[in-house]
Amino acid sequence: MDTPLIDIRNLSKAYFNDGVATPVLFNMNLQIQKGEFVAIMGPSGSGKSTLMHILGFLDMQTEGDYFFQGKPTGNLGDDALARIRATRVSFVFQAFNLLPRTTVLQNVLLPLLYHPTIRVSEREQRALKAVDTVGLTPRKDFLTSQLSGGQKQRVAIARALVTEPEVIFADEPTGNLDSQSGVAVMQALQQLHTDGHTIILVTHERTTAEHAERIIHIKDGRIASDTRDFKRSLATHIDQLK
Amino acid sequence: MKLRDTFKTAFRGVTVNINRSLLTMLGIIIGVGSVVLMSAVGASMQGVILGQISSLGAKSMVIFPGQQEGGPNAVSTGHDSLTFDDVDELKKLRTITKVAPIMFLGGNTSYGNEEGSPQVYGVTPEYFTNQNLDILEGRMIEKGDEDGARSVAVIAPDVVNKFFGSIQPIGKRLKIGDSHFTVVGITKPLGSQFFQNADNRIYVPLSVVRNATGQKFLNFVTMESAGSFPVAFEDVKSLLRTRHKIKNPEEDTEKDDFIVRSSEQASEILSAVSMGLTMFITTIAGISLVVGGIGIMNIMLVSVTERTREIGLRKAVGAKRRDILLQFLFESVLLTFIGGVIGLVLGVLFAFLASLLVHTILATYVFAVSIPAAVASLLMAAATGIIFGISPARRAAALSPMEALRYE
Repeated sequence: MDTPLIDIRNLSKAYFNDGVATPVLFNMNLQIQKGEFVAIMGPSGSGKSTLMHILGFLDMQTEGDYFFQGKPTGNLGDDALARIRATRVSFVFQAFNLLPRTTVLQNVLLPLLYHPTIRVSEREQRALKAVDTVGLTPRKDFLTSQLSGGQKQRVAIARALVTEPEVIFADEPTGNLDSQSGVAVMQALQQLHTDGHTIILVTHERTTAEHAERIIHIKDGRIASDTRDFKRSLATHIDQLK
Repeated sequence: MKLRDTFKTAFRGVTVNINRSLLTMLGIIIGVGSVVLMSAVGASMQGVILGQISSLGAKSMVIFPGQQEGGPNAVSTGHDSLTFDDVDELKKLRTITKVAPIMFLGGNTSYGNEEGSPQVYGVTPEYFTNQNLDILEGRMIEKGDEDGARSVAVIAPDVVNKFFGSIQPIGKRLKIGDSHFTVVGITKPLGSQFFQNADNRIYVPLSVVRNATGQKFLNFVTMESAGSFPVAFEDVKSLLRTRHKIKNPEEDTEKDDFIVRSSEQASEILSAVSMGLTMFITTIAGISLVVGGIGIMNIMLVSVTERTREIGLRKAVGAKRRDILLQFLFESVLLTFIGGVIGLVLGVLFAFLASLLVHTILATYVFAVSIPAAVASLLMAAATGIIFGISPARRAAALSPMEALRYE
């Protein structure tokens, strides 16, 4: 078996507030291979977003190890983490997080400004290609405020694509969208998966999770189930709903 | 991130909300604008003052009788310490030339029904050369006039206007005190010298005044230095001290019974004054820039809070602390620098308008801008941006990406 892209071992996370520790994740073990499309599910407060933040290098575990592409990441400094965020991972957020008063193309160009190796002369071409992938070429010069919710999220997907990262994290990407736009966004993510991208989706919606090929349920900071068998996953889901 | 990209990002940050940026800059605009305006007015005034001095000639020196103000006997000693014998000895000094003793002649002046009291100077021909006083018409006081004690007079333009109007004054007889003088020449206008009107004067031969008044002392003596000023100064002082039997090895000017001045000295005093003025303006500039800077800091702090999510996003896509720090620092420096440039332009514009206005009253007042003050205030504005921008920028850079993204 290949070295997993993501490999966490005995990972725990607690938040400290005024010296009081609030544990969020307990002793987690998880491997994700390159090219997988994984959905992380769980009720709110289960720790699924915290897990995604740690996997995406936006936050650090308090205990345990995180190996990314086989390399430990626990002792990386601020700049090294920023470099990983710039080159290896990217995010699609529930609230889109697009820059206001800025065009579609400029939003997609943003990560390239921070990319250490992509040349200035390549930027525009890459951004145009990413915009094209999500089908927004006719609107590339629109301000983001002129777009619908679904279009905004597709801009965010193009922004996540443009650096060709190892893994794209999507945190409730359909959470702010009507069902029709939600389907379009999920189809775009699925297309990326078909093209070979690794996608980790965080959601609490069953229908959204079913676009993935593997579903991990998290409950109270622990992995409750991890399966490719959707009937078993459904059983866990119903169990959680009870 | 490349510096160029950081700069562009900062530039967009400033220009995306132009009204707010302009309001933020207002303090800096007013600060820099007022400094530029005031220093420009100062530069123009300096031009006026220097004009007064240079009309005297750069080498000009003058000796007054009496004591330096503030001396123990300042009031009690008479102003009769300079004599003709002193002048004879001064003429022998090689370091000064064109020594000209002057006596005042009192009394009213009249011509026909016109009466007035212009200053009447008893002078020798040297006076005209060491004061750069040129003749417009006729001739000046000549050696023959002095030696023969002829009752002739040379008059300045204001005297012509007052007493003669459109009549040709040359050859006419003016009455000064009890004596009559024939006008033989008119001087060119001098304007004002040390803020005294130099054009309301009548010059007559010194010997005539001496005979008329019987006065033994001189009111002042003018001359030019022949070489270096300091040497001429020392020579004049030591000669007069020896003649007046004043022991003054410690150079305490309060002990002397005469005062020596030069136009160079006067310009030194004036530059000291203008230096003081500069310090004053700089202080005001400092205060206004600090006030402007606090305004900038305020807005930048608000801006960092408002843009917390943007900062979180930038960090999520790979921005380092340094990138965020520089972006916000550039933004505040851009705000202060652009504000400074606007202030500079407005200050120059207002200084120009002011010069047009003042020029109509004071002809020697011309538009001038103090380049050092302009450059310094621009640099100070930019420095204000750094000083007051650093704290908001550091706050932005220190945000944790995850918390910034969660910020509502």
